[in-house]
Amino acid sequence: MGILSRTGAILGGGTALLYCMFIGLPLVALMFKLIQHGGVSEALSGDFAVTALKLTLTTSAISMVLVVLVGTPFAYALARSNSRALKVLDSLVELPIVLPPVVAGVALLMAFGRQGVLGPPLSSLGINLPFTAAAVILAQVFVSAPFYVRAAKIGFQAVAREYEDISQTLGVSPVGTFLRLTAPLAGPSMVTGLALAWARAIAEFGATMMFAGNLTGKTQTLPLAIMTALQSNLADALALSLMLLAGAFVILLALGAATRREWQGRI
Amino acid sequence: MTTPYTGGWMEYAAGEFSLDFRWEVALGEVLVLFGPSGAGKSTILRAIAGLARPIKGRIEIAGQVVYDGDTGAWLPAHRRGVGYLTQGHHLFPHLTADGNIAYGLRGFPQAERERRVRYWCEALQLEGLEQRRPWELSGGQQQRVALARALAPGPNLLLLDEPFSSLDQELRRVLQGELRDMLVQRGVPMVVVTHDREEALALGDRVQVIDQGRTIAEGLPVETLGQTGQSRVARLVGVENLLELEVESRNPADGTMSCCRGDFRLEVPLDQHSSPLYPGRTEEGGTGAAGQGQSAWDRVKVGIRSSDIILAEAEPTGISARNRLQGTVTGVEPRPPGYMVTLDCGLPLNCHITRASLAEMDIAPGRNLWAVIKASSCFLVGE
Repeated sequence: MGILSRTGAILGGGTALLYCMFIGLPLVALMFKLIQHGGVSEALSGDFAVTALKLTLTTSAISMVLVVLVGTPFAYALARSNSRALKVLDSLVELPIVLPPVVAGVALLMAFGRQGVLGPPLSSLGINLPFTAAAVILAQVFVSAPFYVRAAKIGFQAVAREYEDISQTLGVSPVGTFLRLTAPLAGPSMVTGLALAWARAIAEFGATMMFAGNLTGKTQTLPLAIMTALQSNLADALALSLMLLAGAFVILLALGAATRREWQGRI
Repeated sequence: MTTPYTGGWMEYAAGEFSLDFRWEVALGEVLVLFGPSGAGKSTILRAIAGLARPIKGRIEIAGQVVYDGDTGAWLPAHRRGVGYLTQGHHLFPHLTADGNIAYGLRGFPQAERERRVRYWCEALQLEGLEQRRPWELSGGQQQRVALARALAPGPNLLLLDEPFSSLDQELRRVLQGELRDMLVQRGVPMVVVTHDREEALALGDRVQVIDQGRTIAEGLPVETLGQTGQSRVARLVGVENLLELEVESRNPADGTMSCCRGDFRLEVPLDQHSSPLYPGRTEEGGTGAAGQGQSAWDRVKVGIRSSDIILAEAEPTGISARNRLQGTVTGVEPRPPGYMVTLDCGLPLNCHITRASLAEMDIAPGRNLWAVIKASSCFLVGE
């Protein structure tokens, strides 16, 4: 073994250990404290946690339906079109990912809030978005959609055009071609993107806080509930945190299984 | 019953590139579009298939107008009933071999679907491979599956874009033969794009030579790609020797003429005096041409295929070939399946020989050799 590779091994091994400790320690601490405070069951039996969980699952599910419905054709257009406008748009798609969520919340307020640009026309129609479950969904879509659009676009790009051409010459319409060929081939990418988007939607805090508020049973999703609980009941906060952590693990594992295809790399 | 017409014309433009093309193919006929890459051959196929839209023209497939620039009629690709085979096989990786073949059969009842898959598996010797994934098939098998997939829905026209270029030569020859037999027998017309002369000769009933979006020659493959009359075509079909020579004397009795440049002397077939390529030339001009001095018709361009030149170690005697030229080897380059030897005989000659000949004769630069060329292997090339 040469000096360089030995240095590399030490450096690589050392930093790997450091990294794992840095990420792992807080997680272990979380569980340790949870056990100290008497476990999960008690905390989760209360209305407080269940309400937040239900709201989080419902809103994020609706958000994902919206993201897929709008994001899929959009991602396909980004992947296939040569239009200059779409190219510019392509580089801006990720903006919400890098934008601080609080800013996203303020921006949403400025658009849909009572004093916002669209506020008066909306309220004249009897629609008041801020501080409703709809606002939670809007905030989730805003911050999570780019994860899906980006991954789906990359998935579509990986499907060579010739496949779609051949499919059409075999008598399958463009829509049929998408459903029977492009979507299955881009499937793993789409699922990955959706899982990341969903995780982001569930975790959404800043924008929701600003735009939807923290109303128990109405707009209080899990992350907001954790913050609220932290001020009064540490055990609840810990239990809710563990739930989110477990959820994240499940998503990661499911992702690995759902996106593995034997034809990967052969498109 | 009149045979349904398949053919038409199209004009197409994209940036600098423009296309002006006219075609027609009869039932059971194979039309080869031959030309270099970038000539527009693939675009033509895509337009016929409905994957690219011309700016003008009219395309009919089996009597049905699928595109008419004047009326704006346009049938999308999935309603044209055209089989399309690409260079890479492009089998759908998420489906098995029979899944691929059945892909275009959604509109048929289950029993008919199964019957067709079985039929084409049998016809293309794919039995036992039905459940394989595309990457579990050999290159030839993949191309057979792609072919079965294209043929299963019963297309009215088959378009092939360099279909065998990724296969080795042996396999290519086998598949070409099978494909020809099968389609001619079934009466499916076929348009094949290729830049491979052998493939054009093997598959084509007719050939159109395409260059820069235009047909520059057409006719029977052997004639059009063989003794070609245009230097552009000659270059495209791989005539490696194009020599500009002066006519020294014409010998109508032998049907030959003697051409030279410096010490380089070559006997070639007599030119056609009445040819429109030599305007103003009269019949009697031919015989008295020698000593007439320099004029346009006394300069000729002669093409010789590199494989038509024989190399000899010593001056061959007692041989019918008219041209025996001594020269020095200046270069040896691999040109699969053999080698290209450049022999300087006053003018450089490119000679294609096999690897065995190269080894046996121990050919290397600096070696003195004789080139033997039949007069009839030389052909005149007009611009």
